[in-house]
Amino acid sequence: MDVRISSDESEGVFNDFIQEQLDEILDDIINKGDVDRFDDRGSDVIIEVDDIVPPTFVYGDDSDGAGDGGEGPGREKGRLRFKLPFQMFMELLGERLKLPNLVKEGSGRIKEFSYAFKTFGQVGVILDKRRTFKRALRSSIGSGVYDPARDLYDVHVRRRDRRFHVPQRVEKPRYRAVCFYMGDISYSTYGERLELEKRLVNFIHQWLDFNYGPGHVEHRFFVHDVEAHEVSPTDFFTVGNAGGTRAAVVFDLVSQIAFNEYESASTNFYGFYFGDGEVFEDDAKKIVDVLRLDMKPAFNRIGVVEVKPSQFSYLNREIKREFDKDAVIRMGTLRQRSETVEVIKNLFGTRHA
Amino acid sequence: MRSVRSDSVLAELEQRVLHHAQLMGRRLPEIRFFILEPLEFASLLEKDVYPTSPINIWEGKRMVHKKHAIETGLESSLFYEVVQTGDPSYAYLNDGNSPVTQASVMAHVVGHCEFSERNVLGDSNANRTEYVMHLVREVDRARRQMGAQDYLEYWNAVESVTPLISPNSQFNLRRATETEDALSAQVGSPAGESSEPEALTPVFDTLTQLLSGASEESSFESELRKRRRDETLNRRGYILKAPCQDVLDFLRHHAPASRAERTILDYKYVTRAPQDFVLRTQIMNEGWAMYWEKKIMLALFEERAVDGVIDYTRVFSNVCRPRPYFQRNPYHLGYHLWCHIEKLYREGKVSLEYREEVDREKKAHWREEREVDAIGAMGHLVDTVTDYEFLRRFLTPELAHELHLNRVDQRMAERMGVEDKDIVHRDDHYVWLDPGPVREEMLRFYTHFHRPRIYIIDSDFDDGGLLLYHREDGRPLRKDWIRPTLRNLHRIWKAPVLLLTQDQLFAVTGNQYKSEEVTPASFDEVVEKMRRGDKPYRAA
Repeated sequence: MDVRISSDESEGVFNDFIQEQLDEILDDIINKGDVDRFDDRGSDVIIEVDDIVPPTFVYGDDSDGAGDGGEGPGREKGRLRFKLPFQMFMELLGERLKLPNLVKEGSGRIKEFSYAFKTFGQVGVILDKRRTFKRALRSSIGSGVYDPARDLYDVHVRRRDRRFHVPQRVEKPRYRAVCFYMGDISYSTYGERLELEKRLVNFIHQWLDFNYGPGHVEHRFFVHDVEAHEVSPTDFFTVGNAGGTRAAVVFDLVSQIAFNEYESASTNFYGFYFGDGEVFEDDAKKIVDVLRLDMKPAFNRIGVVEVKPSQFSYLNREIKREFDKDAVIRMGTLRQRSETVEVIKNLFGTRHA
Repeated sequence: MRSVRSDSVLAELEQRVLHHAQLMGRRLPEIRFFILEPLEFASLLEKDVYPTSPINIWEGKRMVHKKHAIETGLESSLFYEVVQTGDPSYAYLNDGNSPVTQASVMAHVVGHCEFSERNVLGDSNANRTEYVMHLVREVDRARRQMGAQDYLEYWNAVESVTPLISPNSQFNLRRATETEDALSAQVGSPAGESSEPEALTPVFDTLTQLLSGASEESSFESELRKRRRDETLNRRGYILKAPCQDVLDFLRHHAPASRAERTILDYKYVTRAPQDFVLRTQIMNEGWAMYWEKKIMLALFEERAVDGVIDYTRVFSNVCRPRPYFQRNPYHLGYHLWCHIEKLYREGKVSLEYREEVDREKKAHWREEREVDAIGAMGHLVDTVTDYEFLRRFLTPELAHELHLNRVDQRMAERMGVEDKDIVHRDDHYVWLDPGPVREEMLRFYTHFHRPRIYIIDSDFDDGGLLLYHREDGRPLRKDWIRPTLRNLHRIWKAPVLLLTQDQLFAVTGNQYKSEEVTPASFDEVVEKMRRGDKPYRAA
C-alpha cells in the first residue's frame, strides 16, 4: 500500500472557512472603520471568530445557554483565536481598500542584507534530508543495494550524496521615510473626537510601517495652538489648551525640520494634519503658501483632515481651492467612525494630477 | 506511510514478536505493520485510524489545531501505538521511536488484535480497513453527486448524530426493531440467547385465549393491534418494538435518504461504531495488551533481539502508574487485574470450593495442588465478558486499595472537599479514601458513559415525526444545543423531529422550532407501552 496519510484537503476546507471569516472581518472593518486591530505596532493581529462545533445532545444547565444555534455547524459560546501576521493583514486590508503601495523615492542606497537558504551544496551545517535521501536512493539503486524485486531494501548514504542548505546573501535597498503628525490642541480633542483621530493616526502609522518596513519610518508628533512644539506620541493625544490658534506655525515648523534635519534627496516625507478646521482666513492662506512653496515639492504625501468639523471650519475649503484633485496634497473630513475608511482612501488612494 | 518491511531492523523485530506470540499460543489475525512520520500519525488519528477519509471541515479544524500545538511544543508528536483491529489488522508505528519502543508497540498490538478477535462483543470483522477505504471513495463520489453545499450540510447534520451510536446496547437496532427480514430479539434477554433461533411452538389462538384465562384486552383489541402491526410492517418495512439507542444505525437503515446520503451515513457509522467496543472493554483490552506485551518483551530481551531493558522498564512503569479510580488508567488497572486473576487461577481461588470455604485460616493459605490452565481460563474471560463483569467479579475493596485506586493527591482531595471520615490512610503527599465504594462508582460509568442516553421511541409521531426520548438521570440537557441538533436530525429524517426530555417537548418542524411543557413519561412506561404495541407517548 503506497499511501501518504495527510489531511491537507480537509485542512484546506477549514482554511477556506477561516478565509471567509477573515473576509467578513475585513468587510466589518471597511463598513465600520474599525481599523485599529493591533496590540503592538508591527505585531501579529489576533483575529477572533465564533468557534464551530457540531451540535449534539450534551449535559449542561441553562445558564450556559448564550450560544446561537444556527444550522450546520453549531456555534458554541467559545471563540476561535488565531494570529494573522501583520504583513499579511495589511496586504489584505490594502487590497480591500484598493490602496496602492506607496511610491518610494530616493536612491535606496542603504542596503539591507539578509541570508536566505536558497542553494544546496555538498558541505554545510543544515542537512537537506529530502535531497540527500533522493540522491542516496538513486545511487543505491544504481549500485544494486536497493532492489525491491530481490527483497533488498538497503539505502546507503555516502558522503557525496549529502546535500546541505547553503545560505545566500540577499540585498534589499532600504528606503528611509519620516512622517510628521500635526495636531491642533486648541480645539476640544477628547471623547469621540480623540478616538477618531487616534484610530486614523494608528492606521497611517501601520500603513507606512508596512510599506517601508518597521524601523525604517520615523514618526514625529507636533502640536500647536498659537505656537508649535514637538511632543511625544502619548502627549500628542493628551495635551490640550483652550485658547487661540494659528495652524500655519506647525506647517512652517515641520517644513523647516524636514529640510534642516533630513537629506531631502533620499528621504520620503509624509505629513498629516488633524484639527477642527476652524482657522482664520489669513492663517489658511499662510498654510496654503507653505504647502505650495515649501512642502509640496519635497513631500510624497500631505494630508489635512478635519475631525468633526463645524460650520465655521474653513481650512479645507481654502486648501481645496488651490489643491483640488492634487496628487500630493489630500484632504479628508472625518465626522464619524464609519467615514474613517473613506478618509484613508482619500489620503492614500491613487489619484492622477 | 511505508511497510515495516522497508526497514530491515523493524522487519526482523516484527518476525520475532510474531514468533513469540505464536509460541505463547496467541490467536491472531493477520497483522500488517506500517511506519508513519509524526504528522502522518497525527493525521491518521484524526481519521479514526484509517489511512484515508473524506474531505471534511472538522478533521481539517482538528488537524490545524494539532499541527499548531505540535509546532509550538504544546503537544508531543510522539504517539506510541495505534492499531485498527480486524482481519487483517493494521498497526502503525511512529518513525521517530527507538527500536525497543517499536518492539514494545508490536508486542502491545498483538494483545489488542487477539482481544478484538476473541471478545464476546465480536469487534473484529473481515477487511474493515479495506471496506472503509472503499466507503471513502463512495463518499467522495457522493460529494460530487450532491454538490459541495449539500454535501457539507448533510455531513454536518450527521456529525450531530455521531455520538448517538450504541451497537452493543441492549437497545440496539437489532433488538429494537422488527423487520420483514428478521424478527427482533426480546429486549432484556442476554445477547447469547437471542442469537439462537427459537423453537417454534404451535399456537392456536382461540385455545390459548381460553387456557390463559381472562385477558386484560379483548380479542377484538388484540386482533386490531395485530392488524395494525402488519400494516405498519408492510408500509414501512420495520416496526419499532422497543426504544432504539443506536440512533445513527436506525437512521442509516430507515431514514429516507438518497444513495449518496446513505453512503455518508454508512461511512460515519462504520468508522465510529468500534468506539463503543473500546468504551465497553477498555480496561480488559489495554490490560490484556500490556500483559502480553510484557511477556513478549521479556522473551525478546532474553534472546537479545533488542536492547534497552532500562528504557523499556521506565516507559512501562510510567504507563502503568496508578491513578485514582475516577481518572481510570486502563493500562494500570487492566494489567494488574490480569496479573491478579492469573494468580487467583494458579492458586485455585476461582472455584466453588474456595468460595464456600468457611475456615478463614484455610482460606488465607489456600493452594490448590492440581494443574490449572490459568492462561486458558483468562482467555475464556476474554471470550465471555466485558469490563462491567470483569470489574464486578474481580475488583474487591482490598484490591482497589492495593492498586491505589483510592489514592488521591492531597491538594486534589482538598479541592474535592474530602472529609476526614472518608480517609482511611494518609502520608505526606497522598490520602487513601475508603475503597468500599470504588467498584460501584466504577461500574456506574457503564450505564451512561458520561453521555446523555437518547433513544428513538417513535418514528411515526404525529404522522411521520421522529420522537426521541432523553432518559432521565437527574442532569438536564444543554438547552441551546437542542435546537441546532434537532435541526440537523430534521435534515436527515426529512420530517418533524421531537425530543422529550424531563417535562419538556422540543420540536423542529420545517423551519419552526417550539418547546412546550408536557407530562413526563418514565423510561419503564415507555418500554412497556412499546412492548404492548401502543404508542409510547401521545401529545396532549
